Amino acid sequence: MPEPLLARSALRAHVAPEIAAPAPGVVLRERTDLTLASVAAFKGREAELADAVRSAYGIELPTTPTRVAAGEVAFVWAGPGKWLATATGPVDFSTLPAAVADQSDGRSVLSVSGERARETLATLIAIDLHPRAFTSGDAALTHAASISVHLWQTDDAPTYEIAVFRSYAATLWRWLVHAGQSRGIDAKL
Amino acid sequence: MSQSHRLPQGGLIDRAKPVSFAFDGKRLDGYAGDTLASALVANGVKLVARSFKYHRPRGILTAGFEEPNALVELRSGARREPNVRATTAELFEGLEARSQNRWPSLAFDLMAVNQLASPAFVAGFYYKTFMWPAALWEKLYEPLIRRAAGLGRAADAADPDSYEKATAYCDVLVIGAGPAGLAAALAAGRSGARVILADDDFLMGGRLNAQRFEIDGNSSSSFASSIVAELRSLPEVTLLPRTTITGVHDGGVYGALERVSDHLATPAPHQPRQRFWRIVAKRAVLATGAIERPIPFGNNDLPGVMLAGAVSAYLNRFGAAPGKRAVVYANNDDAAKTVGDLVAAGCEVAAVIDARGDAPALHEAARACGATLVFGRTVARAYGFQEVSGVEVSGPKGDSFNVPCDLVAVSGGWSPAIQLTNHLNGRPKWDERLAAFLPGVTPPGMIVVGSANGEYGLRDAFVTGARAGAEAADSCGFSGPGFQTPRLLPEPEEAYGDGPWRPTIKRGKAFVDFQNDVTVADVELSAREGFRSVEHLKRYTTLGMATDQGKTSNVIGLALMAEITGKSIPDTGVTMNRPPYTPVAIGALGGAHRHKEFKPTRLPPSHFWAEEQGAVFVETGQWMRAAYFPRTGETDWLQIATREINTVRSKVGVYDASTLGKIDIQGPDAATLLDKVYVNAFASLGVGKARYGLMLREDGMAMDDGTTTRLGENHYYMTTTTANAAGVMRHLEFCKQWLWPELDVHMTSVTDQWAQYAIAGPRSRDVVAALVDDGFDVSNEALPYMGATELTVCGGVKARLFRLSFSGELAYELAVPARYGDAMIRAIVKAGEPFGICPYGAEALAIMRIEKGHAAGPELNGMTTGADLGMGRMMSKKKDFIGRAMAGREGLADSARPVLVGFRPVDRSARLRSGAHFLPKGAGNEAANDEGYMTSTAYSPSNGHWIGLGFLSRGSERMGEIVRAYDPVRAGDIEVEVVSPVFVDPEGARLRA
Repeated sequence: MPEPLLARSALRAHVAPEIAAPAPGVVLRERTDLTLASVAAFKGREAELADAVRSAYGIELPTTPTRVAAGEVAFVWAGPGKWLATATGPVDFSTLPAAVADQSDGRSVLSVSGERARETLATLIAIDLHPRAFTSGDAALTHAASISVHLWQTDDAPTYEIAVFRSYAATLWRWLVHAGQSRGIDAKL
Repeated sequence: MSQSHRLPQGGLIDRAKPVSFAFDGKRLDGYAGDTLASALVANGVKLVARSFKYHRPRGILTAGFEEPNALVELRSGARREPNVRATTAELFEGLEARSQNRWPSLAFDLMAVNQLASPAFVAGFYYKTFMWPAALWEKLYEPLIRRAAGLGRAADAADPDSYEKATAYCDVLVIGAGPAGLAAALAAGRSGARVILADDDFLMGGRLNAQRFEIDGNSSSSFASSIVAELRSLPEVTLLPRTTITGVHDGGVYGALERVSDHLATPAPHQPRQRFWRIVAKRAVLATGAIERPIPFGNNDLPGVMLAGAVSAYLNRFGAAPGKRAVVYANNDDAAKTVGDLVAAGCEVAAVIDARGDAPALHEAARACGATLVFGRTVARAYGFQEVSGVEVSGPKGDSFNVPCDLVAVSGGWSPAIQLTNHLNGRPKWDERLAAFLPGVTPPGMIVVGSANGEYGLRDAFVTGARAGAEAADSCGFSGPGFQTPRLLPEPEEAYGDGPWRPTIKRGKAFVDFQNDVTVADVELSAREGFRSVEHLKRYTTLGMATDQGKTSNVIGLALMAEITGKSIPDTGVTMNRPPYTPVAIGALGGAHRHKEFKPTRLPPSHFWAEEQGAVFVETGQWMRAAYFPRTGETDWLQIATREINTVRSKVGVYDASTLGKIDIQGPDAATLLDKVYVNAFASLGVGKARYGLMLREDGMAMDDGTTTRLGENHYYMTTTTANAAGVMRHLEFCKQWLWPELDVHMTSVTDQWAQYAIAGPRSRDVVAALVDDGFDVSNEALPYMGATELTVCGGVKARLFRLSFSGELAYELAVPARYGDAMIRAIVKAGEPFGICPYGAEALAIMRIEKGHAAGPELNGMTTGADLGMGRMMSKKKDFIGRAMAGREGLADSARPVLVGFRPVDRSARLRSGAHFLPKGAGNEAANDEGYMTSTAYSPSNGHWIGLGFLSRGSERMGEIVRAYDPVRAGDIEVEVVSPVFVDPEGARLRA
């Protein structure tokens, strides 16, 4: 009988360097505790999905680029009729009446926070993250210097979470660290 | 004597902070707050450069970014930067600058003999002089000319500094921080709008710092600093000093170059040298001011001839006197300020020459200081050796007299700095009264104010700036108290001046474009030779084509041409401008993403394990793939790949196939969509089965291939080639969203979700059986060739197992969630050890696919149809699919088309090469005899000789025939035998074992 398989992050220190800063302007971490699934409504069954999500998680599915959270679970808008479902810890989204695909391994999620987070992200992401334009609960599908990202803001620290295709995670980490170095980044795996 | 020309007091320099620097190796002193130019002025240095073509001695003409003369090499070693304008380079401790374009030294420049040959170097000389023999142009003439001309030298070493790009958004972008810009920024900023104020200079205030005005009873410079202080206190106002707006682009997007560290010897740790901003603004206020024009006269380029506004700037802002005895030569009243500034600074004004004779304030200033006032006469020439020692003033009858001086302050009027209004193709309009181009059609959302709009008065600047700032903020939904124009003393405001453009008396070279050495005579020559339109003038003489883009010269050149041809200026043409406004280093445009970080690198799940194995990697698109896994003693890649192939074909190997595109397709219409995009049927595929599929483009050519597995009634799992993954996804979305929006189907990329390993070879089943959990059957009966199943491995990890083979051996593909990918590859290798497993890389895979005759990139080259690839029979006749109609076109259905077949050399020791063309034996080496071409070749370990795939006309009917593989590029011409493209196990027995 082979040994049990060990789950590993896509990041290792030699491709995703760690940096300690005493009074960091920006903090970079990986969220390794998330369950993710892409959810897309079938034609004519949109209401059925909305009801199912409401009754299972107490969440109104967002119809604009926002993230709606309740407890451990959140749904992030991902296009018309599409969402990225997230949960802290294991949640089985596959029972929803929709096209559901597990993305827990397909995406890595990086958390970028701190008073200079916005400034750091502005070197990679071309959308307006000023609080008048983008605030806690807002979400966007955009790119970070050519890497496709799905990003949302979770609090006013501000904290942003960035879902990125797993194979790109190390590059995005390096680019964030590079941009963050002049702004006092604390990056820890 | 150090700082011989520094005034005893005054200026916005910090006299408590001396700064030492070197010019051409000579140590000099300046103060914090100096530019290199102002420090040179303070040290009495006049000769700072040699001109581009004639190597004429040049000094400092301006005090700003428009400088055409004072270009220097800054710094040394890898940071050496040529063509830096001394007028904008901030002084820092230890700054090293060198003059350029001179040999052996600035004062003694042997290249100045070019002046003696100057009749040969007139405009367009290179079109005429070096015509014959043509062969010498590239080898001799051009290199010689380039050595003699050219400007500074770029650094030899790689740039050690880093650059950054960033995006900023605002409601109101204010471009320029002179009086109009400051008023606009404050009016907008006080409303609470998001404001960005960008200015080229390190000290905001524009002419409030360069000139002496009394504002609210204080100096204009202290007024400017109080406004800047208030702006700094506003939370939504961002000040960007040392930042040039370089371009206006569609959608309210502005390019901006911020010189973050150029004022330091080296950038602070982790700081970029420069940052290139993409600023997105709802509204913009253009307050770029105006640029003073010279007046053409003989030797008007001698060091010591300086624009009048620049003279004022050096006196007032920098406390440095460009001369001690000045002649002021102007055609407008604005120069009266310079007369006053000279007198206030204790300089002697020897003469004031009113070029047009109609400037009352200028006359008054001359009288007030007791200077000789001359009108009705012009300056015929300046004279002096390497710097000006006097001017010759001529009357209409040719009489003349000399006025000794060491400074000539010239003002030929002002050109509003409207360059940015041209960037979206807005043509400027000529204003006769102001003798200047004013903004015509401005970019959407942009308001032009102050001098940039021809409103030269200080009051006008404040009023129009404040109004525009408030209006811009208001249109973004913000209102505030605005900005009230402060109390000003009245001033003469006849800043406009019209000519004289063309000297009546020709004494020495009269320069129009200083940087490109274009003279009045060159413009006349251009007119004589018929190059009269402004576009021709520019190209024939190179006027306005230097790095300064003709900021001081374009209008003069145009006015000269108008005068010569007897046309009006608007009839002669307009000068348009393109980005960038001032030069931008390529490094800044590249930003942080260069070298290995130029593009993202995608790492497959086995990457870290492969690194531990000492794998050699190859980049495939953005992916890093293991190319081969060397073992001790192995040196040659082919030796390694051969060993890997032999292991796969005799025992078992493992390969990371995770880089293939993987698309999850779900929905009641999933099968319908697949039937439309693939040439073959997928609706008929059973659950738990996989099938090879080929997609065509709309034009009938092959687009991509791969296997698709039916996981459930309405659930498919598609794989694509590594390179085409994104393209196929885009294609499917296009089909779904645009061609057949009625289909109920969803596609999701799961490429990164699954780590997928190919386990191939006669012992692969043993390895797989050792990994799957109890109760799962992987026998040939339970999981036959092209079967697929979902199961668990290694104690409960969910997995998908496919019976697929690219190598041609008994093989499986095992997919597990990517987080287990690293552990999975280790577990596979461990489980495979008893069976002699080895990992294999992309090289071995590429050879094995040629051995099996599988089409890949070289065959799916955009020029081949399904039939060409030997898949004609796969193309369903029972259904419609993308590409079907176009694939039926006469030319594509031609039975004589080259089709995919295999080749082996008649002489088995011969090497085959891709790209060779097939010719019949005995036929001439002509295109007419071309029968096709070789696409893929490899040394086949399984066959012991080279093999090839290629397209040969009617190839499938010509098995056994000998043709020539003709490769003139590499001198190849060998005989090859036409064979089946499947070189290993043609019956497919191993696949099904």
